[in-house]
Amino acid sequence: MSEDFDRILDECVDRINRGESPADCLSQYPEYADKLRPMLKSMHAVQKTYAFTPSPDEKRAAGQRFHAALDKRRQATPALSFLSAISRPAAVATVAVLVVALVATLVILPRVIPETLVPNTEGNFAFLISDEPNAIGDFESLNVTISRVVLRAAGSVKPLEFTPETKTVDLTQLQGEDYQEIWRGDVPAGQYSHVVIYVSGVVGELESTGISVTVKLPSSKLQMSASFEVTTDTVTSFTFDITVVKTGNNGRYLLKPQISESGARSLE
Amino acid sequence: MNTGNSENISATKEYETRLAGLYEEYYDKIARYVYVHIGSREEAEDIAGEVFLKALMSLKSYREQGVPMQAWLFRIAHNLTVDHIRKMSKHTTVQIDLAGLPADDSPIDGAEKRMEFERVTEAMSQLTVEQKEVINLRFFGELTSKEVSGILGKSDGAVREMQRAAIEKLRAVMGVEE
Repeated sequence: MSEDFDRILDECVDRINRGESPADCLSQYPEYADKLRPMLKSMHAVQKTYAFTPSPDEKRAAGQRFHAALDKRRQATPALSFLSAISRPAAVATVAVLVVALVATLVILPRVIPETLVPNTEGNFAFLISDEPNAIGDFESLNVTISRVVLRAAGSVKPLEFTPETKTVDLTQLQGEDYQEIWRGDVPAGQYSHVVIYVSGVVGELESTGISVTVKLPSSKLQMSASFEVTTDTVTSFTFDITVVKTGNNGRYLLKPQISESGARSLE
Repeated sequence: MNTGNSENISATKEYETRLAGLYEEYYDKIARYVYVHIGSREEAEDIAGEVFLKALMSLKSYREQGVPMQAWLFRIAHNLTVDHIRKMSKHTTVQIDLAGLPADDSPIDGAEKRMEFERVTEAMSQLTVEQKEVINLRFFGELTSKEVSGILGKSDGAVREMQRAAIEKLRAVMGVEE
């Protein structure tokens, strides 16, 4: 009797999980209905209480990370899989040759190390941070710490980088037309195509509650393609606009570059 | 020719494809499963994503015999959740995040939802660790009793019995009448 009931209850749980209503199951087992009904009501109460639908943005982002890892794994597998088709001594010899070749390549080929720029108050390039108001009104403060900035010249493989003299900026103070200069120095004249800022920390405090919240920044960097020219006889000021947006109704925030509000202009 | 390795590579590729196929359906279920344990939606989402990455990295250790792949994912989710709780317990008490409840209701509806939430949470806290795991895997993971039995190392019958005992306790503590 008890074992029968356990099976029937189990079947009802399965059927409800598949989308059937509790009434369907109760009508099929009228002799157990009085006992089943409150138990299925309890199940419903528990499921309803803890039910939540994960944020589609989060799910999509996690899915992209998963598929990127899967692609990487699949790309790596064919290169090594042929080893399984040859004898063990030959496989060992092949791996040894590959390792020697890899080491030789690393020793012979120079690494592309960014050229570090030095600050200079009279320099020809100023880097500014600003904020396009989106969800910034939700914050009492939103401190973004920038560890380095990388510039890429069009057609060049060697990037240029500098460490901001002002590392932490509060975006709530930089809304709209407001901005803050974080570095000024000499940058080689030329056409530039890409700007990346590396962010080592984001700390936000909500205006409504005073509670600190996490502001997400996938990959810890913000980047944009931006075509601008730097010359030796004028000061080029580049504004990198950062905006914070709210993602769904889950109380989460995301930091993004605001390309439409960013760009370079000549000051002299 | 080493056909054993070729077979392993072929099996691993098949497992990769199956794992990718499970993502869409099981991400949400795993997130809900973790949420019941840790009480934070954001962290539950992060852990759900981590489960699939961890599974991908551990595919070599997955063996068809024993548990189906979806059940194996919940085993990984369980381990990551335990690790998370262990880390967090050094800093704070694990508690369901009441702030996660919908805030767009009227004050009366909101109060009723909070009372219901507290009633259910209190009932869940009365379950044994194993009963809670069975309920969580059945109600939120939507696994079958057979799959749950593979995860817990119990017979199907033992899982069904634990499920019935757990639901009876929930009903009694919540005071659900016929």
